[in-house]
Amino acid sequence: MSYTTFNQKTFDTLKQPMFFGETVNVARYDIQKHKIFENLIEKQLSFFWRPEEVDLANDRKDFNDLPDHEQHIFLSNLKYQTLLDSVQGRSPNVAFLPIVSLPELETWIETWSFSETIHSRSYTHIMRNVVPNPAEVFDDITRNDFITRRAVSVTKYYDELIEKCSFYTQLGEGTHTINGKVVDINLRDLKRTLYLTMVSVNVLEAIRFYVSFACSFAFAERAKMEGNAKIIKLIARDEALHLTGTQHILQIMAAGKDDPEMGEIAASCKEEVREIFLDAAEQEKEWAGYLFKDGSMIGLNQQILAQYVEYITDQRIVAIGLPPIFNAKSNPLPWINSWLNSDNVQVAPQEAEISSYLVGALDSAVDTDDFGDFDL
Amino acid sequence: MNQSSSNHTSSQEDFLLESSASSHEELQHEDFSLEADPFDDSLDNPLDAEPVQESLLLNTEDCEQPEASAQIDLEGMDKPLHAVSICHDSHPVQTVSFQHANTLLESLEAQDVPVHYQCREGYCGSCRTQLLEGEVHYTEEPMAWINDDEILPCCCIPKTAIRIKLS
Ligand code: FES
Ligand SMILES: [Fe+2]
Ligand SMILES: [Fe+2]
Repeated sequence: MSYTTFNQKTFDTLKQPMFFGETVNVARYDIQKHKIFENLIEKQLSFFWRPEEVDLANDRKDFNDLPDHEQHIFLSNLKYQTLLDSVQGRSPNVAFLPIVSLPELETWIETWSFSETIHSRSYTHIMRNVVPNPAEVFDDITRNDFITRRAVSVTKYYDELIEKCSFYTQLGEGTHTINGKVVDINLRDLKRTLYLTMVSVNVLEAIRFYVSFACSFAFAERAKMEGNAKIIKLIARDEALHLTGTQHILQIMAAGKDDPEMGEIAASCKEEVREIFLDAAEQEKEWAGYLFKDGSMIGLNQQILAQYVEYITDQRIVAIGLPPIFNAKSNPLPWINSWLNSDNVQVAPQEAEISSYLVGALDSAVDTDDFGDFDL
Repeated sequence: MNQSSSNHTSSQEDFLLESSASSHEELQHEDFSLEADPFDDSLDNPLDAEPVQESLLLNTEDCEQPEASAQIDLEGMDKPLHAVSICHDSHPVQTVSFQHANTLLESLEAQDVPVHYQCREGYCGSCRTQLLEGEVHYTEEPMAWINDDEILPCCCIPKTAIRIKLS
């Protein structure tokens, strides 16, 4: 199989598997093998937002007032999210587009990845408004050990898949000597790498963001960094959709209906999948330790964040049909749900504050005794 | 969007509804206090008091009470009433009813049955629940992945008496 940007063959799209079938030709959506991807595209487009529409004027002052250890928490999370979205803004395209075989899935991957670039742009918007020298923060992402260590586990499956697929598209299956190194390229192994890559992407979308989300919302519960929280709410809404996308892809693969070999591979990889989830959960807990190394923040500490990571991990692994790892059934941070719910997020420049935040701020500042005259 | 009208209560309503919300919040609050001293450094800690946001975004009124329902009643027609029985590990623990709420999720919340949720629009999968018996009708096309025996309470209503399993 060699890659072509417009496959000249005539074939039945509906008979193609999601990946490693015929390369795509006509970008048509009148017939779809998996309608879910069309639905995801529509939903993602309806979510469109621009970072600049969120006003961050108060966040700079809030940030300056934060104690050092809370500034560290805020900036570290932002660096980590920047890393994750840098990866997600390009990797689905580079890794999956050369091997995709369905037009609606191809477009979903592009739409998904595009929305990640909005997230990346929003971090620049936040940095510009919050810190005097954004470059210092961005430069640290490739220098800081704690961040770069995360980068390895986030990218290793992607990189392996991209490398193997490039050999496959150039040289086909077989044993090849490349720069003096012998590599064995076979389709079954490639599919296995694809499946595990998709699992690691699911983990990235589903678990890796949530420690930062929790911190951002905990700041906002104290009416601090509210512009930031508004942006994080919009990001979280997108991430929930990406999570659903990867869950569908994984479940379609596991069902083996459109590629029986993929079904066998999924069934044989359960132990590795569990490892990927477990490793990610441990890394996120470790990250919480780094965040709180100089002190916890009000409302959150390392222990409760670790419990939250375990809860989220169980939810996510069960959703792709595997048993839970930690048996964490209850959410230790139930207040986060309503922040993750973006029902009433509006991005209108004239409305600098979301009404719910405003009311929330009032609520916590005003004593109930002040309403003594009201009939409750 | 029909949900925002019922979920997004104005600030004034919020104060009036505080009392009816308190039992739900106490439940949530208990969850907190089970954790080993999560707020050790709390001096003046707004999180400690109650999850403020809960009362803003969720139906704190009992949407199963007709006067609070956002649905328009049809003259002379009673809405069908369905029993919703809830099981933990296939043991029935509680039976509530569904009649007036916009979604099964809202109905359960109004009757103090906590269900995981996030998007409340059928795309995140947080509310995935096993349906042991009965049938539901989707008011919105569900997008999140669900198995054949599962439902998304945030975007469906019962068509018959149902039995569901909550973890
Ligand atoms: S709450 Fe998101 S699918 Fe039901
Ligand atoms: Fe993202
Ligand atoms: Fe994402």
